[in-house]
Amino acid sequence: MNHARSYPAFLRDAVGVATDGGWPFYTWMTLLTALALVGVNAWAQQVVGGMGLTAMSDHVSWGLYIANFTFTVGLAAGAVMMVIPAYIYKDKAMHDVVIVGELLAVAAILMALLFVNVDLGRPDRAWHLMPGLGRFHWPVSMLTWDVVVLGGYLLINLHICGYLLYTRFLGRRPEKRWYLPFVMLSIAWAVSIHTVTAFLFSGLGGRPFWNTAILAPRFIVSAFVSGPAFIVLALQVIRRVAKVPIPDAPLHTLLGILRVTVLLNLFFVGSEVFTEFYSGGSHTASASYLFLGLHGHNALVPWIWTALAFNSVAAVILLSARAKEQLWLADIACALTFVGVWIEKGMGLIIPGFVPSTLHELVEYMPNELEWRVVVGIWAAGLIVFTLGIKIAVEIFASRMRHQLPDQEPDEPQAAGGA
Amino acid sequence: MPLFTALTLLLACDQGFVDPSREYGPPVPDAPAKASRVHVPTSLGAVDTPRRDIHGAPIGVSCATCHAGPGEDAIVVGDEGNPEQMHGTIELLHGGLACDACHEPTDRRLLHLADGAKLEMAEAMQLCAQCHGPQARDYQKGAHGGMTGYWDLRQGERVRNHCVECHAPHSPKPPQVQPAPRAVDRVVFPASETH
Amino acid sequence: MEDTSRRTTLKALGATLGAAAFARAMAPLAAWPEDLSIDELLQRHYKELSRDDMVRVLRRLEQETLDQYGAVVTIDDVRPIPEVQFGYALNLSVCVGCRKCAEACHVENNHDRATNQSYIRVLEIKNGSVDLAMGTVDYDHAVPKKGRSYMPVQCHQCDNAPCVSVCPIEATWKEPDGIVVVDYNWCIGCRYCEAACPYHARRFNWHKPEISAEEINPDQAYLSNRVRPQGVMEKCTFCLHRTRKGRLPACLEACPTGARVFGNMLDPNSEIRWVLENKRTFVLKEDLGTRPRFFYFFDK
Repeated sequence: MNHARSYPAFLRDAVGVATDGGWPFYTWMTLLTALALVGVNAWAQQVVGGMGLTAMSDHVSWGLYIANFTFTVGLAAGAVMMVIPAYIYKDKAMHDVVIVGELLAVAAILMALLFVNVDLGRPDRAWHLMPGLGRFHWPVSMLTWDVVVLGGYLLINLHICGYLLYTRFLGRRPEKRWYLPFVMLSIAWAVSIHTVTAFLFSGLGGRPFWNTAILAPRFIVSAFVSGPAFIVLALQVIRRVAKVPIPDAPLHTLLGILRVTVLLNLFFVGSEVFTEFYSGGSHTASASYLFLGLHGHNALVPWIWTALAFNSVAAVILLSARAKEQLWLADIACALTFVGVWIEKGMGLIIPGFVPSTLHELVEYMPNELEWRVVVGIWAAGLIVFTLGIKIAVEIFASRMRHQLPDQEPDEPQAAGGA
Repeated sequence: MPLFTALTLLLACDQGFVDPSREYGPPVPDAPAKASRVHVPTSLGAVDTPRRDIHGAPIGVSCATCHAGPGEDAIVVGDEGNPEQMHGTIELLHGGLACDACHEPTDRRLLHLADGAKLEMAEAMQLCAQCHGPQARDYQKGAHGGMTGYWDLRQGERVRNHCVECHAPHSPKPPQVQPAPRAVDRVVFPASETH
Repeated sequence: MEDTSRRTTLKALGATLGAAAFARAMAPLAAWPEDLSIDELLQRHYKELSRDDMVRVLRRLEQETLDQYGAVVTIDDVRPIPEVQFGYALNLSVCVGCRKCAEACHVENNHDRATNQSYIRVLEIKNGSVDLAMGTVDYDHAVPKKGRSYMPVQCHQCDNAPCVSVCPIEATWKEPDGIVVVDYNWCIGCRYCEAACPYHARRFNWHKPEISAEEINPDQAYLSNRVRPQGVMEKCTFCLHRTRKGRLPACLEACPTGARVFGNMLDPNSEIRWVLENKRTFVLKEDLGTRPRFFYFFDK
């Protein structure tokens, strides 16, 4: 097997597949590209004009970018919710579609890395963060742990996806030793990426809103809401738009997981609310600001209550028997809880940590247009990566993208079979 | 495994200065402490007249201008200055004290301590310290009254305020002042009053 | 075949348009290198510079200040005096909230003029409470006001500084004499330290600082009051460009009531030692275990 010839062929065919499609595909990709370019332009302005072009301040020094960073790291971790049933519980139906989760992990980590980079005041100095090249304050700084685990998670998932797709492209069975250990590692690693991200916040004694042991469990549980919710919706889209025959079984597995995690998430929020409000005192000022408003400042109150409403409605829908039969109801629940967690984990977690400030000053924050443009641009870029990954995977699994050796007849198309 | 440990140790150790000679500056040689002198203001030993200069500040007249020598009646200047006019600007708000509590009755150019010992105007701080012991002690220890110059008296001298720079002897309570403007917060959303 | 070649042509056209659109989107970045040089981009961490490197860096920075601000300045690399541990105390019985300390800091440290920035924030707190939430920075009336007390807050140069722990690249560290410094040419502006500081002591350069040539204080040090670039963190350095030469910090000199006391805690005869040994002192947020070097005390 001459990989020096077949791998470039794989990449070339992938590019071909990535740029080939019907008009819905072209419209979608053009729209995403346009949005991504808007984001790039906004970021370029920010680099030159300074972070002062955003709405952040010395009081609220992290905003929409880090909110989305936190959420997308969770999304990447949540993708592992497909891996566990597929590989540990040997769920065959899930096994066939697990690549969707792994591709989501890749796209989400790329988004997270982009979010962190646009939040840097000096992106030209990002090389200072590279272990070996710059000066790496590991193991003391939790941000260095984040660099290590996010980078590692990206590499692990790139390897898994790349290996599985490439071997299928070659028409061969993937060898367990080249992907199974990585898959098992990715399960533990997924928990670690989001735990480390939580520890970034919970380790700060000066921020009582974050300095709570339940922050890491909250992060993991909400990751296991946002991941499966997105994947359910993605699978539904893939079924319809790419006309791939995916059975209902994997969706039901994911919905079963969601049924538990959505409730657990609500329980954790409730636990946090009780602990904050029962005893009162000034250390609960951030929670008061978030849920009730403080001294006339209540910009975040509508956000958090919307998030709680979305999550509660989603929980009710998922628990109902109708949602099991009528999957469109489950789709709505997934969309609702995805947005709900995005709000609750993003605006509802990052911003209140800064309000009131450490000197108890009340300065609020609402992202401005430039920040929204950058954020939408990065989401568009992430969706581009995800769409292309799915498209290539679909073509490969349907045996339409297959390595043609010069003296070989094209293979018979196989069913979307397992590894 | 050994590679990982080595890498960890390599990365985790605080790598200090590559050039260790850069870490400290030169040591300061032992030297006798330089002066810590008190700045004596010109307002000491003078009284404000009702007249003002072009800046609006009151014009002061030194006590010695009129009280040229010992004795209550040893006033040199004649009818030009009558007592009310020369001392009318003085508002005495100093704990119910009378003038003679501090001013030497036999020589109006001088002050006196409680035991009768006479004191030059410039040495008024001793008189303040007589009653305000804790503040005087704090002042001596550098915890009251401020200073400019050097904390390290081996390297330079220091200038201290005189008590009367802040505490006018006749009404020692310092006046209220308008504070310097605060920093403008970059973003205030929405425009609302902080409590 | 006709179809494929038309499709390929359309794809090529699309790719070209995309590339052109990308170039347009990135166009604002063309203005970026005006303030950057290769030397600055590749400059290593402060502790990794040799003496010669440091001299080159200082000269380059002086030239940049001249180019960008029109001011001739001297930037020194002022290192700690051996066997000195700085401490700072503030007398709450005497502070009247006049903000002259904040103003002096603004002038001494070449802060941005537009925001009247300073490392010191003065809180006016209602009597009967030490809860900072009962305080405000926002007062404009004559001081001291009856029923109020005043508490200036600045970097405490903590012995167990959270900002030092969280920095991913060691751009901020604690020096041998106790001052926590920032290497402005190493900082990437992630603002993790600003999130970690419990005392609101850190400031970020959201814009390039605006300051006229006449207003620039030309006696500067690399780690303290040189004009900082855009996108990096900064904080109070106890005026190390002065204090490491034996002088008093600017805020102390400006204080008209003498509420501030500074010195070497290792010197048993110093004023700061006397205050710490004889006055009722406390630190802010002691329960967080930050071990500040900045103490508050009362007269009695």
